Amino acid sequence: MGVTVLLPYQIPEGKTGAQAIDYLTKRLLALGAIHTGQFLVDCETYISTPQHGPAKTVHVLHDSEYPASTFSILDNGAGKQIPLVADNLFDLLMLKMTSVYTSKKQTKIESKGARFEYGDFLIKLGSVTMMENFKGILIEIEYRPCVVLSYCWEMIRETLQGFLGMPIAKEYPAYFSQQIMNTMGQQQIHTKQNEVYEPIDTINQYLESFTNYRKQNVLPVAGGATGGASSAQNAAANMQGGNQRMR
Amino acid sequence: MEKLNSTLGAVRSLRSSVRQCFEQLADGTNAELAEDSRTKFLLKFQENFNNMNAQLREVESLINGLQAPQTPYCLGQTTYLAQETAPERQALYSQLVNSYKWIDKVHDHSFLAFNNLNQNNLRRSYVYCSQKRVRIPFTSCNNFDPDHTDKLLSEINLPLTSYQVCRPFGSNVVVIVTISRVLKAAIVCKGVLIEWVTVKGFDETLDPDDLWAESRYEVFRKVQEHTHIAMLHFFSPTLPDLAIKSYMTWLHSYSKLFLEACKRCGKFVSNGLPPTWRDLRTLEPFHEECRNC
Ligand SMILES: [Zn+2]
Repeated sequence: MGVTVLLPYQIPEGKTGAQAIDYLTKRLLALGAIHTGQFLVDCETYISTPQHGPAKTVHVLHDSEYPASTFSILDNGAGKQIPLVADNLFDLLMLKMTSVYTSKKQTKIESKGARFEYGDFLIKLGSVTMMENFKGILIEIEYRPCVVLSYCWEMIRETLQGFLGMPIAKEYPAYFSQQIMNTMGQQQIHTKQNEVYEPIDTINQYLESFTNYRKQNVLPVAGGATGGASSAQNAAANMQGGNQRMR
Repeated sequence: MEKLNSTLGAVRSLRSSVRQCFEQLADGTNAELAEDSRTKFLLKFQENFNNMNAQLREVESLINGLQAPQTPYCLGQTTYLAQETAPERQALYSQLVNSYKWIDKVHDHSFLAFNNLNQNNLRRSYVYCSQKRVRIPFTSCNNFDPDHTDKLLSEINLPLTSYQVCRPFGSNVVVIVTISRVLKAAIVCKGVLIEWVTVKGFDETLDPDDLWAESRYEVFRKVQEHTHIAMLHFFSPTLPDLAIKSYMTWLHSYSKLFLEACKRCGKFVSNGLPPTWRDLRTLEPFHEECRNC
């Protein structure tokens, strides 16, 4: 389990999503990466029914990298997010709760595609689809031996630049540069890039990206390499619950 | 030591004269012989007896002159041999002493041989041995007392590094070193000589009972190979303390394993790996393939 960076890939003009994936796959293989199967990350969102007070949202995510787990993030509507990692029975539990939480079926979103290994790097090229509609490309890169982003960001950046063939900003990705609240609610000096990375951080990054895709309903993705400003704000608000991560 | 030797010699001569005396007594006299031969026999016996007495006194005085050694002789692990109960292994101690003597002899001979060969100026190797160098006792390398090892390890104090000392194999130490949040290394020592190193990632478990399992990450398997190269490089039976300190300093340079670009090609990643080699002297980072060119 290492540091993972998720970034939306801007499809070059005049290319389709499939062409872009094809291009990236070729570049990865030329770099020496080995194709090691497929992956899938999906997200379904449930909203509480009005008779149960202010609207609460539960995002339920699955990641094929953690096949035995179901990740859920409860958003209480007041900017607080509570993450929960459970086993797959959680899905059945959600089905039982239809009287309280109803699924927003039309926003079910997923990212799937090929998985590559390059040294200790794990690289995934995901096509994002919502209701069978292609929304964009998400690139996930994990450097498995390292648990702190600030230690290995330059390595990740160099590898990304190598196969994307474009410059990546030197700054840490937006998700990692948020301030972290300690249990007393005070901002701490160090930020997420110096924290030990955990699986829920990957899930948070996916949720962040999926939320952005859902917002822009028609247009293809325009997010930069380090994520848009809107996602940073959105995530900053979410971070209040972030320190209560599951262990 | 000389006193002890002369005392042992005195005991030996006492024993021989006692033996002589009894031999003479056992031979007895010929009954048919004359009176003067009987007197001779008696005189001879008296002489022998006086000899014995004098030697006994000498032994006694020599023993009184002996001093008990200030400190008990440190026999190291060999003391445990005395507790051996299996009969076939009780002879081990004498074998041990024999082999010790043998090694001692080899050492002396090789020293002489070296001095002789040294007069020949046609040297082929760079092996250099100073005449002035004091002969170091053999015990300093791998038969150290545990307190010394503990003290030595407690003296090593590098930033962002924690040391955990355990002894799963009797008195020999296994040091679990955690460097920053980058890696863990188990260093297996025999005395203060490093015998084996296992390197694993920060998120992997490093169990002292299973030190031979490899890391699941390629980068740490590579680093482990390099730590073994360095282990041989820093090996120094004459200065074991310095060797272990230099080794720890070198190992500590891996705290920036992912953070430093290769000194030769300037890149971070090559073949999917960071610069896994650290120069033994300058501690500069290199990719494995960049280090020799
Ligand atoms: Zn290099």
